[in-house]
Amino acid sequence: MDLLPDRVAWYVVGPLIGLFVAGMFALANKPLGASGAYVQTIAAIRRRASEPWRAWYFAGILIGAVLASALQGKLQLRSGYELMLDLWSLPTVVVVLALAGVVMGYGARMAGGCTSGHGLCGTSARSVASFASTATFMSVAIGVTFTLHWLTGGRL
Amino acid sequence: MKLVGLFFGIAFGFLIALGGLNEYEVIHNMLLLEDFQPYLIMGSAVAVAAPPLWLLERRGFTTPFAGRMSPGRSQVERHHIVGSAIFGTGWAMAGTCPAPALAMTGSGAMLGLVVVGGMFAGLMARDYAETRSGVGLADLDLGMRTAPKVGAEI
Repeated sequence: MDLLPDRVAWYVVGPLIGLFVAGMFALANKPLGASGAYVQTIAAIRRRASEPWRAWYFAGILIGAVLASALQGKLQLRSGYELMLDLWSLPTVVVVLALAGVVMGYGARMAGGCTSGHGLCGTSARSVASFASTATFMSVAIGVTFTLHWLTGGRL
Repeated sequence: MKLVGLFFGIAFGFLIALGGLNEYEVIHNMLLLEDFQPYLIMGSAVAVAAPPLWLLERRGFTTPFAGRMSPGRSQVERHHIVGSAIFGTGWAMAGTCPAPALAMTGSGAMLGLVVVGGMFAGLMARDYAETRSGVGLADLDLGMRTAPKVGAEI
C-alpha cells in the first residue's frame, strides 16, 4: 500500500503531536515520556509497575509505527542503518548502536526524561528543568554529530 | 487508563513514522543542521500544547483521571544537565531516541532492536546505580518512580 507519503509535512505532524501531549496532561497530569515507558515496561515484566499504562503506551508506539509504515508502503525488513553499514562492518555497527543505546538509556534515566518527556512535554508545561535538559541534549547531540561527521571524513 | 495509554502510544508511534522521525538519516541530518523539519515538528508540537495547558491550569481544570490539573515541574539540578549531556551523546551516535527507536523497529528496521535493547540495559544500569547508592530515587522525575513526591516532577 502506498496511501500515505513517506514524510508528511511538519505543520501536520507537529501540531497533532502537540494535541496528544496536551491531551495526556489534561486527562491525567502525566507527561508522555518514552523513557518512562521503557522503565515501566521492564517493571511490568517484573510485575512491579507503578504505572502499568506506560507499558501499554510502549506497545502502542510499536503498533502505531507498524500501521503508519504499512500505509506508507515502507513496512519491510531492512537494517535501518544503511549509511552506517556503508562505512563499517555489521558487527561494528551493532556494537556502536548497542553502546549508543546504553548511553542514551543511562543518560535519560539520570536526567529524568528524554526528547519526548523533557523536549516535548516538560517544555510545553514550562518546566525549567526541561528547558535546561532540552538545550543541553540538543547542543551536545549537534556537537557530537558534527564531530562524527568530521572524524569519518564527511561519510556520516 | 491502560486503553488510554495504548491509544496514545498508537497515535504517537503513527505520527513519528508519518513525520519520518523513525529514520536514522532524518535525525542524523537534523543534527547536522541540514534538515529542519524535525525541529519544526518539535517546535510546533510545543507551540500547540503549551497554550491550552497554561489556560486549563489557570482555570483550575479537573482532569478525569488525576484530580486538579497540575503538570509536574522541577528546578534545574546537576543530574538534569549531566544526564542530558550523556543522553545527547547517545542520541547523536544512534541517530534515534527512545520513541523513534521503537517506531524504527516497528517499520521493520531490525537494527532498531539493538538500540532498544541497549536502552533497556542503560536504564536498568542507572536504576541499579541509584538503588545501590540510595540517592535520588524518589526525587527523580517523570512520575515514573515508585514513590513520586508531592507535585511529581517532569
